[in-house]
Amino acid sequence: MLSVPWDLRRRGLQDSRRHDQRVREAIKKNLRHLITQEAIITSNRGHMIKLPIRYLDQYRFRYANDPSDPSGVGHGAGEVGDVIAKGPHDALPSDLPGDRPGEAIYEVEFSVEELARMMLQDLDLPWLEEKPEQQDFVVREQMRHVAKTGLWPNIDKRRTLYQNLKRHAAKGEPRLGPLINEDLRFRTWDDVKTRQSQACVYMLMDRSGSMTTEKRYIAKCFFFWLVRFLKLKYKNVHMVFIAHDTHAEITDEESFFSISNSGGTRCSSALELALLHLREHHPPTRWNNYVFHFSDGDNLPGDNLRCVELVERLLTQARMVGFGEITYRDWSSFYYSQSPAETQTRGTLFQSLEAIEHPRLLVVAIRRREEVYNALQAFLAGDGAAA
Amino acid sequence: MSNLRARIDDVLKIARDMGLDFFDIHFEIVPFDVMTELAAYGLPIRGQHWSYGKVYDRQRIHGRMGLSKIFEIVVNSDPAYAFLLDTNRDFENIMIAAHVAAHVDFFKHNALFASTNRDMVNEAAAHAARLDGYKERYGLERVEHLMDIAFALDRHIDVHKGLYRKPYPPRQAVEIERPEQPYDDLHGEERYSIEKRVIGDRFPPHPEADLLWFLIQYAPLEPWEQDVLSMIREEAYYFYPQFMTKILNEGWASFWHAEIMLTYDQLSPQEMLDYAALNASVVAPGSNLYVNPYYLGYQILKDVERRFGRERLFRIRTEDDDISFLLNYLTEELCEKLQLFRYGRRCKGHTTHRPDCPRCQEVVIVSRDVNEVREAIVQERYNYGVPRIVIDEVVSGTMRLEHVDRHERALDLHFTQKTLQYIHELWKGPVTLVTSLPNGRGEIELRYDANGFQKTHINPS
Repeated sequence: MLSVPWDLRRRGLQDSRRHDQRVREAIKKNLRHLITQEAIITSNRGHMIKLPIRYLDQYRFRYANDPSDPSGVGHGAGEVGDVIAKGPHDALPSDLPGDRPGEAIYEVEFSVEELARMMLQDLDLPWLEEKPEQQDFVVREQMRHVAKTGLWPNIDKRRTLYQNLKRHAAKGEPRLGPLINEDLRFRTWDDVKTRQSQACVYMLMDRSGSMTTEKRYIAKCFFFWLVRFLKLKYKNVHMVFIAHDTHAEITDEESFFSISNSGGTRCSSALELALLHLREHHPPTRWNNYVFHFSDGDNLPGDNLRCVELVERLLTQARMVGFGEITYRDWSSFYYSQSPAETQTRGTLFQSLEAIEHPRLLVVAIRRREEVYNALQAFLAGDGAAA
Repeated sequence: MSNLRARIDDVLKIARDMGLDFFDIHFEIVPFDVMTELAAYGLPIRGQHWSYGKVYDRQRIHGRMGLSKIFEIVVNSDPAYAFLLDTNRDFENIMIAAHVAAHVDFFKHNALFASTNRDMVNEAAAHAARLDGYKERYGLERVEHLMDIAFALDRHIDVHKGLYRKPYPPRQAVEIERPEQPYDDLHGEERYSIEKRVIGDRFPPHPEADLLWFLIQYAPLEPWEQDVLSMIREEAYYFYPQFMTKILNEGWASFWHAEIMLTYDQLSPQEMLDYAALNASVVAPGSNLYVNPYYLGYQILKDVERRFGRERLFRIRTEDDDISFLLNYLTEELCEKLQLFRYGRRCKGHTTHRPDCPRCQEVVIVSRDVNEVREAIVQERYNYGVPRIVIDEVVSGTMRLEHVDRHERALDLHFTQKTLQYIHELWKGPVTLVTSLPNGRGEIELRYDANGFQKTHINPS
């Protein structure tokens, strides 16, 4: 028997990585479904989450799933017709004969950051501008200098060899020779200060009685990813969380995301509070302000005009106002229970706001969870796409 | 270690004395990850592909969770290679050596294996090296994608025509001499007539089951593409006999390791106990939803030995595969004794499984009839486990495929569409497939061409 250094074998591991890579590519394509998975939103933010992923399919000619599956051969006592197992297909042991390949599910570990990066890395806060009065410097280290002394791990091999060549060439010997200290070159770093504009993002969420679990889920999902995105991309960004029914209040991040619903809807309350807070703490001369508001639009009809007015005022103070109306309809929507005609004729907040037609006011409607992705893309697509 | 080597040699000698005849066996002791890798690839070195990574992952997870332990891998080659897990205890390795000896005897003598390449270990390693070269030259993505296509089609082989084939004869007029009456030669008054026929009018001349071979021969491919397809086709032929003899081969090996261990008297009392426990788990019956193939094969062979004597076992090992083995030797009495049954969903009413239907949730014993049980077991062995798809004819550049067993089972349409797209990529012309919808809802023709995918109902005229 030989003792080959088996530990050196890596073929399986390499192919496993390649498979993983392909799974990740597949995930990227399916982000719009994945990002609304409850497991992610309810996870401890910032931790690793496990996503159930199907093994990548390998297409071939195969038989359609027999509705009588699972079927196979077993053994034991019992009469024909006796029940030997119960449960849906996936609850039964997966190693059954006849179980088809490609249907197994396994879990991949992902950090929320990684997903956020995949999804949002190409996006930016739109219309971000430098504010002359107060700017924060972000200090980053960059390897961009070369020195004759330095740390060994930072040795610059190319430059070192070049120096060696040069030294020999000067002596008329066009070749590489023994290295001496004089040849050595090291990369060293520099603190690079870059200016980053100050930004403040106001997140306004309707928590009225008509915001059912599903609707709140959609709004929270949007804000969840917005927060991930801001933290990932900007070092200095303030976030203000405002929840409202007929009355608005500023909350901290944690209670914002665990909010439950009650009461009627007066959207102007939140807009008003945002405007007040903004004027006091984040004047536009120094801050890039962004306001994102999510509601189902079941606003008190008389309040819509007031909202339009507030939004117009906010637009003078903020770089952008985004309004998302969750039009997902279920039993709890007050107006849905009214006659269709009434529903049609009511002036929704959505329609009132759309009428403003301001380039930095973006209004989107979300009908399904999957559209959270579109909303994020629309709001953060940058000046070019939005303008 | 040296002690183990000596003990294994003793076991192999007993095996030879009992009539097993096997190639020399090269034993290797390997760590868990390598064992997992060998199990995923099936050969020590084989061209890399992400799909092996998928199997590797799954097996590693299973192994870590203790769901399955791979004690041994044996490779059909001359000399044979056997890999033992480095955490195996000595008595385990001794038993495995006996088990492996029987497997190698099976490889050497079973008729299906006669044409397998006994140098596949090196051949596959050469494939791996060539594939690496192609990946460097043409890019990982391209080669990988071609391999995806090859793996989609590699089970559509024609074992009767074999691995090495000549191209179809060109279109030509031939004169065939044939007896006027078929049995004339028996009466000693042979009269021949000359029949003139044109062959090669139809292309292919007969329905072609070996899809990769056809594409390699007749699709407009570059040489390196032909080479990649050929390698994967060759490996598919190599693995076919193993696929066809799982129950028989495992039963054979389990039968012999038990016999050999009965004769081998060098186990300590503790080892004897441990061996008995392990053996019991190897040939454990399974569960009410699963019959262990080791158990089934072992039980049938024991029954055959009781009825016909040991000589018959050697004949079976030479002549049978799983299908003939079960049809010939899983008798009604044995089926009853082993309490085998076929199970399935109670609900047959609707075409799709409905989670809300309580009867759909129930799995029941469907039948204890030996024919049904046999059929349910061997069903997955038919045609390398894939639907019968043949190239019926090529008409003005359109490849017309036919799903031969379409009246028995319908195809997964999504997968079929993707696979047709694969064939289209290689063939570079329209590809059609005649198949049928489930539950007798009629025949359809699927077509993939430059405009994409199309589905047409064929009206019975």
